Amino acid sequence: MIEKRFHSDLYDGNAVDAAVRVYEGFGTFELEKTPEAFIVRIRANSGIDERRLADELANYALGTTIESRNVAGGHS
Amino acid sequence: MSEPIEITFDEALYPKDAIYGAAYVLIDRCYVHLDRASENRITVKLQPKPGVTITAEQAIGEFQNEALGQAWRRQILEENRALIEMISSRALGGAAGPPGLDDLLALETSEDTAFDDPLGIAMSWEEKYKKKKPEETTPEDGKEEP
Repeated sequence: MIEKRFHSDLYDGNAVDAAVRVYEGFGTFELEKTPEAFIVRIRANSGIDERRLADELANYALGTTIESRNVAGGHS
Repeated sequence: MSEPIEITFDEALYPKDAIYGAAYVLIDRCYVHLDRASENRITVKLQPKPGVTITAEQAIGEFQNEALGQAWRRQILEENRALIEMISSRALGGAAGPPGLDDLLALETSEDTAFDDPLGIAMSWEEKYKKKKPEETTPEDGKEEP
């Protein structure tokens, strides 16, 4: 199992949820929300590279976060 | 696949949006993960994806260059924001064309708001150049009284 931590100041929660939905066919995911971060625990299905699945999920969450900020014209 | 490399950025020098911008440029070639090292510091972890020719060191160098460029572009944008807004609003105002009938009817025109017309521009041609009748002539017009 791999645990990925997405700081809530840097990642959009909806983007993390979207990433989990996109990759849910490749493994099982457990989500936890703490005051500081969204935590995703990833277990890949057999035949799937767990490390790669976790990295792809993280990239998707980051890309969606950036795109949603650009659409909203957000600055902080 | 090479090992991931971490680098930490100070938000006072590299705003969060600049780091996002740099991450977006590299996201097709590297796995990028952001985390907060402390209140004003962001850690970036980069690892090239399998099959790409870039090394982790090269990726970090490109990320730093891109973040610097993004931060500089944002600073220029902030410094010129007022000028850009002024030019844009003038361009949009010009593109809207002349006012329509409804706009003209909505204008407030009363004696208080009417403008002065010292050159007689608002006067009609007939009114301005009509021939004066004999009884309207005065000694100042150059004719002497018999």
